[in-house]
Amino acid sequence: MAKTKEISRRIKSITNTKKITRAMEMVAAAKMRKAVEAVLRTRTYANLSWETVLNLSAMSNADEAQHPLLTKRSEIKKAAIILVTSNRGMCGGYNSAIINKAKYSVKRHSEVPVEFILVGKKGSLVYSQNQIVAAEFPKSDLVKDASEVTPIVKLAISDFLTGKYDKVFVAYTDFISPAKQIPRVKQLLPIEITSEDKYLGIVGDPKVSVDKEMLKVKEEKHLQAQLGNEYIFEPNPTEVLNQIIPRLLEVQIFQALLEANASEHSARMSAMHQATEAATDMVKELTLFYNKARQAGITAEIAEISAGANALLD
Amino acid sequence: MANQKIIKFEIATPERVVLKQEIISITAPTQSGEITILPDHIPLVSILKPGVVEVKLADGEIEIIAVSGGFIEVLKDKIVILADSAEKGAELDETQIIEAKKRAEEAKEKAKNEVHYDWSAVAAKLEVEMARERALHKWRKLKNINPVK
Repeated sequence: MAKTKEISRRIKSITNTKKITRAMEMVAAAKMRKAVEAVLRTRTYANLSWETVLNLSAMSNADEAQHPLLTKRSEIKKAAIILVTSNRGMCGGYNSAIINKAKYSVKRHSEVPVEFILVGKKGSLVYSQNQIVAAEFPKSDLVKDASEVTPIVKLAISDFLTGKYDKVFVAYTDFISPAKQIPRVKQLLPIEITSEDKYLGIVGDPKVSVDKEMLKVKEEKHLQAQLGNEYIFEPNPTEVLNQIIPRLLEVQIFQALLEANASEHSARMSAMHQATEAATDMVKELTLFYNKARQAGITAEIAEISAGANALLD
Repeated sequence: MANQKIIKFEIATPERVVLKQEIISITAPTQSGEITILPDHIPLVSILKPGVVEVKLADGEIEIIAVSGGFIEVLKDKIVILADSAEKGAELDETQIIEAKKRAEEAKEKAKNEVHYDWSAVAAKLEVEMARERALHKWRKLKNINPVK
């Protein structure tokens, strides 16, 4: 009988786990709906502003450095990666995917020292990989207001301007659909068109070509910039660029955060869905074992009793 | 008027796309004054201040939009406004505007007495509300619905 008891205890514990994962799945689904809504609402604005940024940078290439944030440095001494991760685990490979992606880009450019700027608690995993962390920022699960990213943008811009970093990247998970998210490293500063996604490729990773195609499709769908325009600025270039560029960078990081959040919640939802299904399967299997063990126990007992009765009769 | 030139126009805020249409002309309040842009304008980038954007749509209709600052980018084949917030005339609600304006004015009064108050933020808020009100008045006048005062 001891065996059946043990099995029934396990069934109970798995049933409880299943309840938790199911609840988490539902919570993630609700949060995902909100996050996806937010990301889609802002996407037009973000893409239009990214177009503007690229337009401006294309133009500034033509007649030398209109603004320090658009200027490419000839020597790259140090780079920074703003790494957007989740606060909590239980979301499948979401965090490890983006951290690995960031690590690959660091490895590929090993001649340049890289510092991390973390957004979200799980980013602290990079500490254990001997990476240098310059700053940590908290992140809310559902980003509502663009002002949440202001300190991050300020830090990035000021460190870039003082020459602490010569390049700034943002690593986040791009939301393609609830079933597909792609980790992505995007160059933020200086703003350049040509090297926009240089860090994206990982040599020898078969998945990359697929990812790149997906991104290209997404970009073609949303970005229809024709570059290389000559602009006039009102009232003057410096003033306009001084106002417009930090704002546009803010929108970029904000959008990255929104994309990351939408991805996180969808990743968590599917991870929890799988966990719930696995628990269901396990309970089914264990119930079968339980019934078999119970039956075997009863059969053994009856055999014992009848054997005892037979012995008495003799 | 038969062969009126038109240009693509899009006005987006972080929350939504307010208007995406082909237009004949647009008048927007920039920091250095109000400008009107027609198709075939030279590419231009300018900073908007809170105010009223007046758009003449391809079918001759006029649309009034209240914006609270942002940027206007004129390209060869399209005009883009990236606004911090924007509302079409039809979406503006008078009672809400008046209330918001009152709140902003009160805050401004209060700010005068308090040293630590963020004066410029309050003033900016009031300016936005006033721009909204102006847009509403203009829109009402245009559509001839019970003009205010």
